Amino acid sequence: MKHCMITFRSVTPAQRGEGLLRRAGLECNIHRTPRWMEEQGCGYCLRVRCQDVMPALELLRAQDVSFRKVYLRRENGKLEEVAL
Amino acid sequence: MIYLDSGATSFYKPPGVEQAVRCALETCANPGRGGHAAAMRAAQTVLRCRETAGKMFDCPTEQVVFTSNCTHSLNIAIGTLVKPGSRVVISGFEHNAVTRPLHALGAQVTVAGRTLFNWDNTLEEFEQALKKGATAAVFTHCSNVFGYILPVAEMAALCRQYQVPFIVDAAQSAGTLPVSLKKWGADFIAMPGHKGLLGPQGTGLLLCGCAPKPLLLGGTGSDSVNQEMPDFLPDRLEAGTLNVPGVAGLGAGLSYLQKVGIDRVHKRECAQAKRCAEGLQKLGMQVFTGEHQSGTVSFVPEGDCEELAQKLADRKIAVRAGLHCAPLAHESAGTLKTGTVRISYGYDAAPWQTGELISALERCKFF
Repeated sequence: MKHCMITFRSVTPAQRGEGLLRRAGLECNIHRTPRWMEEQGCGYCLRVRCQDVMPALELLRAQDVSFRKVYLRRENGKLEEVAL
Repeated sequence: MIYLDSGATSFYKPPGVEQAVRCALETCANPGRGGHAAAMRAAQTVLRCRETAGKMFDCPTEQVVFTSNCTHSLNIAIGTLVKPGSRVVISGFEHNAVTRPLHALGAQVTVAGRTLFNWDNTLEEFEQALKKGATAAVFTHCSNVFGYILPVAEMAALCRQYQVPFIVDAAQSAGTLPVSLKKWGADFIAMPGHKGLLGPQGTGLLLCGCAPKPLLLGGTGSDSVNQEMPDFLPDRLEAGTLNVPGVAGLGAGLSYLQKVGIDRVHKRECAQAKRCAEGLQKLGMQVFTGEHQSGTVSFVPEGDCEELAQKLADRKIAVRAGLHCAPLAHESAGTLKTGTVRISYGYDAAPWQTGELISALERCKFF
């Protein structure tokens, strides 16, 4: 199963996002954001299935949960930031 | 002990609060500082409390900020809106938690509305003061000394009409009266966690309706490279490790209130305050009572108020006497010289407490 990442500035929006996605039936897990993904340091991210990324972002936007970046997994297996 | 000092803090906490504190001590690490289970449990505990408070006070979750007490919250709010020389309108019933920060900032303070239990006077004077132009207004929802419930919804509407940013001090009302950031359109609402909200001491909340200026600077577990404080809430105001056991207990207090209903708590407290005022009047005390009164009653005894409170303490009845950190309120009511004895009921208010108090006061008269 391929997973993608949605990053957040801090734990509060990440947790709110996690609750929102789970209530909508989208699988996700909260983690610390890998250091290389967050130049400002110390963020949290949600790991979601790649097919769920678009509905997840729609939900987050609709509920005003601010996220920072989205990383999609490319064919070569690497995560790459996508422009939003 | 018969505890009638809930205006200072709630003493007998509802079931669940102690357990929540203990559970947090046993299972929670530092929220927002790690990805391990104990850190995430702490973050969950904090988020649950933040969300519950947000729902209770009509405030978006991230705009609910944890502080160490109501004074801390008021200092942030006042420090954001008031600059040296700012003209600030306050009610005649403010606590030192409001007046001292204003004094320290060198604000030009206008006191508006000094007649107890009189909404017409409060609103008339308040509007007159706003009309003259003000940088900010700060007013209490309910006097900590006399239990006077101010017409905050109308005062908020006046502030909006005259475009004056405002702060509501909900120290004595949160948990017993409806408080709404959204309906009032307040810039800030400050409240303690340990009074009407039934949490442990060392907890407070600040509801933010505008961008605040941090009072405390430091680590937030976010945006770490940036040497400025984060520009987003709640992190902007939550530097340093949170009081997670306190927040857990506060969460349990809020859940209890949700179950019982604050309206029920308010009615219970008010019924006893009314009964108490009647009993005190029969004993010939000078009692401050009227319309728009909460579960708090103040009176001036024949002798010294502190000595009477001590006599009651000796009979295992806890009340508070003196100036209650609110000399301005006493000045308004004409009791600055004598002080008052304050009876303040809590969520567990019951007729037997009032009965015991009145009997004890009757006996005190003869000693």
